[in-house]
Amino acid sequence: MKPEVQQLQATMRKLGYIAGPSIATAVYLAEKMVKPLLIEGGAGVGKTEIAKVLAQQMGAELIRLQCYQGLDVNTALYEWNYQKQLLRLRIASAQHEQPEGLEELIFGREYLLERPLLSAITQPDNAPVLLIDEIDRADEGFEAFLLELLSDFQVTIPELGTISAVHRPFVVLTSNRTRELGDAIRRRCLYLYIEYPSLEKEIEIVRMKVPETDERLATQIAAFMHELRKHRLIKTPGVSETLDWARALAVLHRDRLDPQIVEETLGCVLKDRHDIDQLRDEALEDVFTAAITTATRV
Amino acid sequence: MAGHDLSLQRVTPPTDTASEASLSAHIARFSARLRSHGIDLSLSDEIDASLALQLVDIRTEEQVFLALRTALKVNRRHWSIFNLIFDRMWRQAEGLAALPNLRENERKAAGRLPCRIRLTERTPTKDEVEESNDRNKAGGYTPEEQMRHKTFDECTTEDFVAMQQLLDRLARMLKTRCSRRRVLEKSGDVVDLRHSFRGSLAVGGEMIELAKTTRAVELPHLVLLCDTSGSMDSHSRFLLMFALSLKKVAPRSETFAFNTRLTRLTHWLSPENVTSTVEQLARGVEDWSGGTRIGACLLEFTDSWLTQTVCSDTTLIILSDGLDQGDPDLLKQAMVRLRRRARRIIWLNPLMGDDRYRPEAKGMKTALPYIHHLAPAHSLAALEAMLPLLAT
Repeated sequence: MKPEVQQLQATMRKLGYIAGPSIATAVYLAEKMVKPLLIEGGAGVGKTEIAKVLAQQMGAELIRLQCYQGLDVNTALYEWNYQKQLLRLRIASAQHEQPEGLEELIFGREYLLERPLLSAITQPDNAPVLLIDEIDRADEGFEAFLLELLSDFQVTIPELGTISAVHRPFVVLTSNRTRELGDAIRRRCLYLYIEYPSLEKEIEIVRMKVPETDERLATQIAAFMHELRKHRLIKTPGVSETLDWARALAVLHRDRLDPQIVEETLGCVLKDRHDIDQLRDEALEDVFTAAITTATRV
Repeated sequence: MAGHDLSLQRVTPPTDTASEASLSAHIARFSARLRSHGIDLSLSDEIDASLALQLVDIRTEEQVFLALRTALKVNRRHWSIFNLIFDRMWRQAEGLAALPNLRENERKAAGRLPCRIRLTERTPTKDEVEESNDRNKAGGYTPEEQMRHKTFDECTTEDFVAMQQLLDRLARMLKTRCSRRRVLEKSGDVVDLRHSFRGSLAVGGEMIELAKTTRAVELPHLVLLCDTSGSMDSHSRFLLMFALSLKKVAPRSETFAFNTRLTRLTHWLSPENVTSTVEQLARGVEDWSGGTRIGACLLEFTDSWLTQTVCSDTTLIILSDGLDQGDPDLLKQAMVRLRRRARRIIWLNPLMGDDRYRPEAKGMKTALPYIHHLAPAHSLAALEAMLPLLAT
């Protein structure tokens, strides 16, 4: 691996993110090529976390835009401060001010409320990290609007003119694949798909994030999650579920898994009644046995 | 075809001194190979790839591999084929020809297209279309009402032309769903400050008239799963035509065909050219008119497509007679998952046209508890009756 990529990997690890070669390379390329990075993957595999760690690593501010259905330009980009504008108008008429220049005044930067996207391109000091989270939840129309922003990094406000980026923000987009993204937005970005971590990597993650767990417990937890993911579940648990579970077991002062505690704390891992029922009825014992066998082999 | 060019050039890892030009040539050749195996790439992707390769250590295989996969934006779905091609190119192993070609089915099937699937023997001329319109207006030969009750297996080519127009009209009735997005509307219910304020400037800042917004009307979101097995033969060409009409008013809709395997048809459905599309479809779908394994196919759908295509406002339409040859347990598993995710599941069964029909086939019986509506789909009148279900 190239030394720079290795170094990035080491820095990310220091900040609490264990990145495999594929993640480190993608992040390195996106940084160097100044391209947005589109991250896909199952729920809870650490997509959003990458942006947070990156911001820390670059010493930059993290600006986050959470997408949802019905998200519009007023919430994402900018909005005029109407109350302030109205007040200014009232003052003007009370003091019999001349109308000249008044319009320019109330449509000035002072009366503009910056929303995440605008604030990402107007940061004066250094380039921020812009996290556009769960882009798949926004409407397709919003996706098209983003295209314009992501290619030129400038925004046109009719009353004010065009605002270009002072520093080009480093953009991270995440998607849970609840819908297929358009090809156009894919082309603008570099693409990273995060898979569930390997057994070894997951043990490492547990030990790093939940230091209270000892090696044996961490191994057993990771092995159990691995076996669990082999089953066809409605909500496959991600790494965040693994960590929740590890913390729960730490709170309960457990140093190893046994069938009883697994059953009692299953709610940390499986978040769907159907999954829990199905597993309890059929496969919980098998998963447990297989996990313990794997764990002793590691 | 490019994909079968066996005189494979060796892609040697270029040395440090290798010029950019030779690197680009390698990328171009590699991209061409990917394209010929069905992975769509644009020129800008290739440019990104060559930039990326200059940034990593191109003597290590892993770095080149990761850089190319990232910069060419290879979708997760195509990773296995990408891995194979990359591996072969890097190692110059023999037997690229043995690679599974994503477009293979299309070519193979071209030779065995059964005639009965063609929508029309030839494309009707404009005159014919007009003539059939006139006939409809005059209420003569095939009046609309009569057409509506004709079952699909009795229809002639002329009927299909007229039916297409009726279908389009019916499909337009679907535009009634409210969105979360808001648009300006005089009779709206929420005041839009931005526009009200802009308007007030004309009269010196006095808000005389308020701008209002209402919720936008959005197109329905539909996912169609069409059974194209042998038992559905007389219906499937019509039902696919119906899928095309729906696609016109609901561009976001997704269509899949299934028989013994699942095939995604969304990319193939172009509303401009129904005839050739239906032929293409028949060619693209493996085992058209073959057997049915509904459970296995639906399960494949839930595994690979459910999260991306079906969300909480999706109406899922399954067009099938429910004559399943597979394991009913698989069907049950699939239906559980579909039911939990989709807003509504409508099962259209052409066999229901017969009054004596009872949903007693193994497959139909298994699926029944998970379906919101079971509706007949043997004639236009039946489909028309079903449309309000799609819109609400």
